[in-house]
Amino acid sequence: MTVTTITAVAPRRFQMTGPTVPRLVAGLVILALWEGVVRGFAPDFVATPTGIVLAFPRVIVSAPFLAALAQTLGAVAEGLAIAIVFGTTIGLAMGRSVLADRVLHHYVNAFYAMPMLVVLPLFSLWFGYTGAARLATVVFSAIFSIVVSVGDGAHSVPHDYLEVAHSFRAGRICTLFEIVLPASLPYFLAGLRIAAGRALIGAVVAEFFTAIGGLGYFILFNSRTFHDNTAFVAVVFLAAFGIGFDLLTSWATRRFLPWYRRDEAAE
Amino acid sequence: MSITASGIRRAAPAAAQGGHIVVRGLTKRYGALSVFEGVDLDVAEREIVALVGPSGCGKTTLLRCVDGLIPAEGAVLVDGEIVREPRPGIAMVFQHFGLFPWKTVYDNVAYGLRMAGVESAEIARRVPQFISLVGLAGFEKAYPYQLSGGMQQRCGLARALAVDPRVLLMDEPFAAVDAQTREILQFELLRIWERQPTTMLFVTHSIEEAVLMGDRVVVLKGRPSRIHEDITVDLPRPRSRATFTLPRFAELRERVWSTLMSEAKKAEFQVGP
Repeated sequence: MTVTTITAVAPRRFQMTGPTVPRLVAGLVILALWEGVVRGFAPDFVATPTGIVLAFPRVIVSAPFLAALAQTLGAVAEGLAIAIVFGTTIGLAMGRSVLADRVLHHYVNAFYAMPMLVVLPLFSLWFGYTGAARLATVVFSAIFSIVVSVGDGAHSVPHDYLEVAHSFRAGRICTLFEIVLPASLPYFLAGLRIAAGRALIGAVVAEFFTAIGGLGYFILFNSRTFHDNTAFVAVVFLAAFGIGFDLLTSWATRRFLPWYRRDEAAE
Repeated sequence: MSITASGIRRAAPAAAQGGHIVVRGLTKRYGALSVFEGVDLDVAEREIVALVGPSGCGKTTLLRCVDGLIPAEGAVLVDGEIVREPRPGIAMVFQHFGLFPWKTVYDNVAYGLRMAGVESAEIARRVPQFISLVGLAGFEKAYPYQLSGGMQQRCGLARALAVDPRVLLMDEPFAAVDAQTREILQFELLRIWERQPTTMLFVTHSIEEAVLMGDRVVVLKGRPSRIHEDITVDLPRPRSRATFTLPRFAELRERVWSTLMSEAKKAEFQVGP
């Protein structure tokens, strides 16, 4: 045995690293400006940072808020799951089959670029003012970024891997699942992050339009009844979703895909 | 190869039978460009033939044609069967290892066996055997990124050996590792081969490696390239570090070198196509 060093597993990468102090100071300055401007020039009901903080403990245990949160996150999770399954399937097909790519390429890109707002009236017409319309919007919002990413990934699987598979006489289906799929994973994860953000937007926008409950409706209702601070608690939760999802995928990647290191994904 | 050695080899039946490669009139064209033309080559059972040539001469392409990875005009036969697609009993070791980063050492070594449809009990029996044969025992659960280049190629070698091939195709297997590791791996491969002689077509750009490993060194050159010389390496086996010190080794190395270099110089100073 020669050089038998096993390098230590890459250190955990936290998302919040970096110049912590300047970052906190900048945040505090922005919040102070907000507080000052509202107190000086705006009517009472306009949200302020302190108002939001004070409303926080009350709102996050209130039944309407919890119900709304569960509804929205449930729809996002369900829609993302559907988008992942079908998006990955379609993406793999497009990445590995010239025919599938020729047939679908323009349609996928057209839908990918299309603002979800324009399909909402149609979805609410087809599905009614129901959770199904919201779910459809979430799926529609999320699926195409996964299709595009996985398609790119499956298309650019390193030739070396495919050659090894061919040399060992692997079948087409086997190669698709054992080689193409894991090799596309970095692309899939990139697509999933975009998809998660879009899914959340889709859910909230659907709730604005169809008034079927959820955080979107919660925000709309509270701001229209001059409960700005209450509405803002929900806004904070929506903002936290991005961070939370990112942490969740990072954790899941480390836990279940130890071989995958994001810093070398471009290799 | 000495007469006695070949006599012993023929007399001793090994697990891997066969492995006779016949290449006839092999020509590979990419459009108007011919990479090589009219290549005839025979590799006997349990023989090691080293294939050398200037870079770009198509050594690796030729090897891929023998594996059936890419089509070419002419014929490749292994044990009388025409190779058009990769066939069972022929395994390749890749220059850049070709390990799957998402599989552990164990799963990488098992890959070839699984694709060959070997049943799982047999895989579980054989994989550890080949992992320890190449000196990777204890690293079964490691991922390729945790291994040095030399260890990765040990894994690539184990994956190829595990399918019990009649023919091993080596595509500059040690070109991507450092010089010391390369030497260690060369002797380990020779040790493994002594234990179970397998037909080997060994592509390399290292003249020393070619002479050290080969029973014959075949020089491919020209544009389009052809087989220019077929040099028999009559050095005794088993070969070891002591082989380097034999006067005959130096003679053979010089002979291969001058065959190659005459052409390399011409090519270097050639103006235009």
